Amino acid sequence: MDIIIIAIIIVILFSLGSALVGMIRGGEKGSDKMFKSLRLRISLSVFLFIMLMFASYMGWIEPNNVLPTQ
Amino acid sequence: MSNQNYYIPHGTYWPIIGSIGISITFVGLANLMHEVSWGAPVMGLGLTILVFMLFGWLGTVVNESISGTYNKQVDRSFRWGMSWFIFSEVMFFAAFFGALFYARILSVPWLGGADNNMFTPELWEGFKATWPLINTPGAIGQSGTTFSTDFILVDTWGLPAINTALLLSSGVTITYAHHALRKGHRNALIAWMIATIALGVLFLGFQITEYGHAYHDGLKLTSGIYGSTFYLLTGFHGFHVTVGAIMLTVILYRIQKGHFNSENHFAFEGVAWYWHFVDVVWLGLFVFVYWI
Repeated sequence: MDIIIIAIIIVILFSLGSALVGMIRGGEKGSDKMFKSLRLRISLSVFLFIMLMFASYMGWIEPNNVLPTQ
Repeated sequence: MSNQNYYIPHGTYWPIIGSIGISITFVGLANLMHEVSWGAPVMGLGLTILVFMLFGWLGTVVNESISGTYNKQVDRSFRWGMSWFIFSEVMFFAAFFGALFYARILSVPWLGGADNNMFTPELWEGFKATWPLINTPGAIGQSGTTFSTDFILVDTWGLPAINTALLLSSGVTITYAHHALRKGHRNALIAWMIATIALGVLFLGFQITEYGHAYHDGLKLTSGIYGSTFYLLTGFHGFHVTVGAIMLTVILYRIQKGHFNSENHFAFEGVAWYWHFVDVVWLGLFVFVYWI
């Protein structure tokens, strides 16, 4: 499961990077590339969040215990 | 875009005002750290000058842009300037995420005797390599030799998940705003921008609440390597959300002034990318701090 999560994060980072390339290039083409890449990155992020919810609900993954007691 | 020679600003006084502001800020900060009484007000004065400089300088740039002083070459230089700024931001967060990974995957297991460090547990009696580590052995202020790591389960689906949902929603709304701008739908653009800013502010409100809970439950900046990395990462992220929300507000003001059209809106693109970046950083935090 961890591998799938990390793989999705890598694709998200890649699309964010691709949007940056589009922004630096500018013009109609660059602007188009930027928008499409950002749309892909937000879609994947929302998908990852929903997937985490579902996987947690199904008991496939457990969240970290985050708050220590002293 | 009328002028085809590279535009060079003449007679501008903003850089020297900025330098004076920064100098006064650091004189104030240094004295504040030495607990000198006038440190804080002097630092406040320096920051005020800096904010004044930012408004003045960026205002000048906006006016020059609207008046058509800039050509394609200047446009390219803005894009490259933004990309270097982004590079520095990526490296900044890479350093903090790097610290988190290094502590968690390498140095804490080493302290517990992993790899070829079989003698290190002798140094710290009773130490077991666990994560989150809230009592780093040998750290300044580390009390006694107790490394007990008892944890209460906190519902990750509580505030952290609500905040993730809020920030992801703001990522969706800014994407719709971007789409509306490219299609020339002005009213939709303004509505989506307001929604994005509101979601960002709501995120900050919840983040402050979460800090309150965590602090109350004993998780502090001094709570070992976990406390330090947790607060530095989430704190700097929160600061970036604040800066992003301010930039979005400025862009909203400029949209209402009619500064952008469907082809020419680099300022919007820069801020939109920054917002997406801050969103991705949070997603990384949510996944690596709370899940993996």
